[in-house]
Amino acid sequence: MIRKRLIVLFLAPASLLYGGLFLLPTLSTFYFSLFNWSGFGQDMTFVGLNNYVRLFNDTVFWLSLRNTLAILFVGGFFVFGLAFLYTVLITSGIWGKKFFRLVFFLPNVVSVVALAGMWAYIYNPRSGLINTTLSTIGLDSMAKTLWTSPNNIFWAMLAALVWVFTGFFLILLMAGVDKIPTDTYEAADLEGASLWQKFWFITVPMLWDVMTISFVIWMINAIKMFEFPYAFGFLQVPQQLYTLGIYLYIMGFGQRDPIYQLGYATAIGVVMLVLTFVLIVVMRRLLRREQLEF
Amino acid sequence: MTDTTVAARRQPRLPGWVRRLPAYILVWAWTAFTLAAILYVVMSALKTKREVLRSGWNLPQEWVWSNFATAWTVGRLGEYFINSLLVVGVSVFAILLVSTPAAYVLARARFRGRETLTNLFVIGMGIPIPMLFIPIFGILSYLRLSDSLTGLSLVFIAISIPVTIYLLTGFFASLPSELEAAAVLEGCNDFQVFWHVMLPLAMPGVLTALILNLIWLWNEYQLSLVILNSPQNRTLPLGLYSLQNAMQYTGDWPGMFAGVTIVIIPTIIAYALLSEKMIAGMTMGAVK
Repeated sequence: MIRKRLIVLFLAPASLLYGGLFLLPTLSTFYFSLFNWSGFGQDMTFVGLNNYVRLFNDTVFWLSLRNTLAILFVGGFFVFGLAFLYTVLITSGIWGKKFFRLVFFLPNVVSVVALAGMWAYIYNPRSGLINTTLSTIGLDSMAKTLWTSPNNIFWAMLAALVWVFTGFFLILLMAGVDKIPTDTYEAADLEGASLWQKFWFITVPMLWDVMTISFVIWMINAIKMFEFPYAFGFLQVPQQLYTLGIYLYIMGFGQRDPIYQLGYATAIGVVMLVLTFVLIVVMRRLLRREQLEF
Repeated sequence: MTDTTVAARRQPRLPGWVRRLPAYILVWAWTAFTLAAILYVVMSALKTKREVLRSGWNLPQEWVWSNFATAWTVGRLGEYFINSLLVVGVSVFAILLVSTPAAYVLARARFRGRETLTNLFVIGMGIPIPMLFIPIFGILSYLRLSDSLTGLSLVFIAISIPVTIYLLTGFFASLPSELEAAAVLEGCNDFQVFWHVMLPLAMPGVLTALILNLIWLWNEYQLSLVILNSPQNRTLPLGLYSLQNAMQYTGDWPGMFAGVTIVIIPTIIAYALLSEKMIAGMTMGAVK
């Protein structure tokens, strides 16, 4: 029996820190988003839903939203396509399974800033890894591609992002595959099932729960995406790379010059939170189905 | 009759390694790219400014080890390394200190509102961090803790509580209750049960939470960017970021790569040693 005194004592520190520095600040953004507020220590003027009306008419906001959704859906398509492909390949009985898992997951333990620096160089037009390798193997016309020109930079960033996150979801899916009883596959092998049939009729249904959680994790991560595109843009992040998180930061703090549109910035934060929770609810609805027994 | 149909239907089977060849090629393509990218960075860190721009895959003509010294002293990565060590060390210790007892109570005690409180903690995992930029900066300014490592630590603790409690609650809930009952019969009070029985059993979980928080906070960058302003307070990721930005003006690619190498090598070594534990921890919450 755990006494009440101990319950309170054990819960108080975590609740205070979490409540005071995480939950309440989050809720306070709803309040701040109703004000015109041009700097810490400045007066706040109540403007109602004006900030949201402004967002609706702000082309940069729509661009940031479009980029965020492109990360979520286009990026997600490739992340999960590749994570599934490589889960099947790595668990198909090839030698060195653990080593491959280690390498695929590696980008997830390394500083995002370091990765951004690395990728800037991979894409470097004159001396980067891609163009150098292309010209070494004789593809000289392709070796002149400017991977980070304004038209390409978002997709270049997204490719790097896919490289990072594929490894993350690969280890989740592989852990799910490890839980599937091996005799299921052995039975399928006896029946002469192909790799594709085994994937579609055994792996996918058995992995449903892991998939649902993976999709939710990806959704949360995609909507709050800030660090990688921000570091990838270096000193002056180009608008082509803006996500909701980056636009919020720019509106709140600016880059080289401060902007301090704090009320407006918090309204972007509210949009991010609402988007996250709406999409999670919609997705859980879509993916809900009978619990599978095995 | 059945024998012949089965034999006719069975396809001729190729030897195992031939059937697996496409798998090997695709998996090695990805692996080779990742390893090559890291190797390219480390190699470029050892070249001269001029050589790095034209020598591509060639080895450095002369190995310029001084690039590392420059990044460490002139780029001040040495100072930032200490800052990171301090902030992350203190934060991770405090996170476990407050989250472990809370997770224990949420998993094992019976009281009204337990589920609501658990959900309230867990919901934090879905809150987008950029939402906190402005209110956190405001609160820390009010507490006169903005632009300080203390303020950053407090924020680190707060944002790590949800996932840590989520992981540890799952872990405590999975422990058997027989030992708990036996300890009570032996005359232990509730704190002693926690301290002498349940905590030791939960140590693998606590260790996993420790490693995961260590990695996340060591690389944390967005809130540090918002909170810290003075150059002497920078953490390692922020220091690297400013080094990379300075590089835009100086064109000192090898210097930047020396910085990147200094930042990634310790993590890669730690990862090589602890990868099983880290991967197990990452998947612990998601795959039951």
